[in-house]
Amino acid sequence: MTTTEAVELMVKTMAPYIGDTMARSATEAHCQRLGIAATMSRDQLDALLGKLGGGLNIFLGRDKSAAVIAEVRGALAALEGPR
Amino acid sequence: MSGKGRGEALPWVVLGLAVAVFVGWAVAPESAFYTRVLPPIRMLQLAAVLKLVYLLAGAGFAFACRDRLEADNPARPAWLLLSQGILSMFAGQLCLAPFQLVQGVTPFPSVADIYFVLAYPLLIASFLVFLNAYREAGFPIGSLAERVGIVVGVGIAAAFVVLPILRPVAATGGTLLERILTIAYPALDLVLLVPLALLLRIAFRLRGSHAGDVWWILLGGLVVLCMADVCFAYFQALGEAHLDPFVHTAYLLAYGLIAGGAHRQLQLLKS
Repeated sequence: MTTTEAVELMVKTMAPYIGDTMARSATEAHCQRLGIAATMSRDQLDALLGKLGGGLNIFLGRDKSAAVIAEVRGALAALEGPR
Repeated sequence: MSGKGRGEALPWVVLGLAVAVFVGWAVAPESAFYTRVLPPIRMLQLAAVLKLVYLLAGAGFAFACRDRLEADNPARPAWLLLSQGILSMFAGQLCLAPFQLVQGVTPFPSVADIYFVLAYPLLIASFLVFLNAYREAGFPIGSLAERVGIVVGVGIAAAFVVLPILRPVAATGGTLLERILTIAYPALDLVLLVPLALLLRIAFRLRGSHAGDVWWILLGGLVVLCMADVCFAYFQALGEAHLDPFVHTAYLLAYGLIAGGAHRQLQLLKS
């Protein structure tokens, strides 16, 4: 899966909670800080989701934030599945 | 609309009706409705009760938000400070309530002003903690240059709008304490506007989301609060008592929106 595809999926899942603009800018900023390029490794993906979860935590609390990140992981797995 | 939807809409309908009644009073104070059914003393009593209810609800909702967040959540102290700020305003309003409910007057200055003034550092600290929490969490709150630009922009805009309004306030008579307080409220609002402007930038990025709704409602309430303070200072200093209904309307709307924003955040945390 490419970084672009993963980012789109993350943004789509987080948008109802923090908005499309904030979800996109936060995800892209974290990608840049983590040195994620066109493709991302499993470790980078975990680090990125950890950062996004920490950010969501501020708005949603730990449980809800964990649920949203789990939703992202599920969606990413579903996207990878058929390949 | 579902039962839950109706339950969620009801407080907003009540706030809308209350604001409409007070706007009516401000626009047509000589009408039969506001001279016979709801004369000024009744309106003042109604305003006192509604303000107390909204402030207590707002403080309670904000504290419940703090309570729902984990001990290490950086937004937790911000919600606590917001709760304390609203509670301080409630204490101020509570000091005024006996005079407003029994005698139909609002003493100024009074012990209530201690609590109203105390609310500002708490609110300002709350918003600074929110901003810091968002920055630490990696949310884009703007570069240093952008933030300085916003602060300078707010300062210039405030200087152009508020200073001409405050000039006659400062020049009027009254005791030294009266003059200090009538200038202190709008001045504190100017300081409050700085973190609010920075949060407004974040709220703009959050638009169309649950968190965005929370911030648009909260910030709306706080902007109306600033406007109410400026109007209060202006009308108080110039002795324009007949314009008091506008001030009551603005405070009522501000407190209602602040309580509504905190409630929306609590719903988000509970969902």
